[in-house]
Amino acid sequence: MNPSNGNGSMSTASSSGAWDGRDQFPAGLRVLVVDDDPTCLMIFEKMLKACLYQVTKCNKAETALSVLREHKNEFDIVISDVHMPDMDGFELLKHITSEMDLPVILISADARKQVVMEGVTYGACDYLIKPVRIETLKNIWQHVVRKKARNTV
Amino acid sequence: MEVGQMQRRLVDYTKSLFMEGFLDAQFLQLQQLQDESNPDFVVEVVSLFLDDSEKLLNDLTMALDQPNVDFKKVDAHVHQLKGSSSSIGAQRVKNACIAFRSFCEEQNIDATLRCLQQVKQEYYLVKNKLETMLRLEQQIVAAGGSIPMIELGF
Repeated sequence: MNPSNGNGSMSTASSSGAWDGRDQFPAGLRVLVVDDDPTCLMIFEKMLKACLYQVTKCNKAETALSVLREHKNEFDIVISDVHMPDMDGFELLKHITSEMDLPVILISADARKQVVMEGVTYGACDYLIKPVRIETLKNIWQHVVRKKARNTV
Repeated sequence: MEVGQMQRRLVDYTKSLFMEGFLDAQFLQLQQLQDESNPDFVVEVVSLFLDDSEKLLNDLTMALDQPNVDFKKVDAHVHQLKGSSSSIGAQRVKNACIAFRSFCEEQNIDATLRCLQQVKQEYYLVKNKLETMLRLEQQIVAAGGSIPMIELGF
């Protein structure tokens, strides 16, 4: 486990495990992906690995939340499906935005405007419609950089 | 049959799956993800999809067989199948799910039962096609050949 240096919102000092975008940018981005559908989860994991990200996958929102709580400063971004049986993506998003300072991307096969609006209003930094292409995932590091830049004011 | 012939047969067969709408561009994304470090990725993810979808279809059949149909539950299952089929590039299954969802919203029992039949039919068709395609690939590899990349110029 990497020793984390306190507050997740301080972006200047980087602990040994933190991704600060220096060397193999954006390789090594630490992503937590959550989806209850095994096919989608397998495809996301493969795509994210092909982007050279460090991927942790979860098929339950509850599990994802405990992982994030226990390993607070070891993730850079969370990608979550919206419709999941135990806890849905919106609830997970609300927990994450109130407890941690991580960017969250929501993903769904549901493209209805009111659902997208809800996600964005609750604080999702992006909302992607399935099927997601690898080109889209190659750009998600921008959300991490943008958030860090906003925090260091 | 020698390797070159087998490869040509595979290319023609795969192209027909795209032309007939069974597969869409998303499937190409999966093929591009396969490499030496993970040479069985497509087989694995297709098998996962086929097994998982079969379960979903069974759940759907049961859910629609209840005296008081829980359309929210039915919709949730169809939504999941729509997501996984679109992620794998199984276009006709995905399209059948889209129609299905609109009838779920209307809570139309007859129409949803017809949709279920339609989705099942598309599932079995694409299952058959994908298994044939993967078998052709296996034969090529077993004969020492490599799997040709599909160029879609249409």
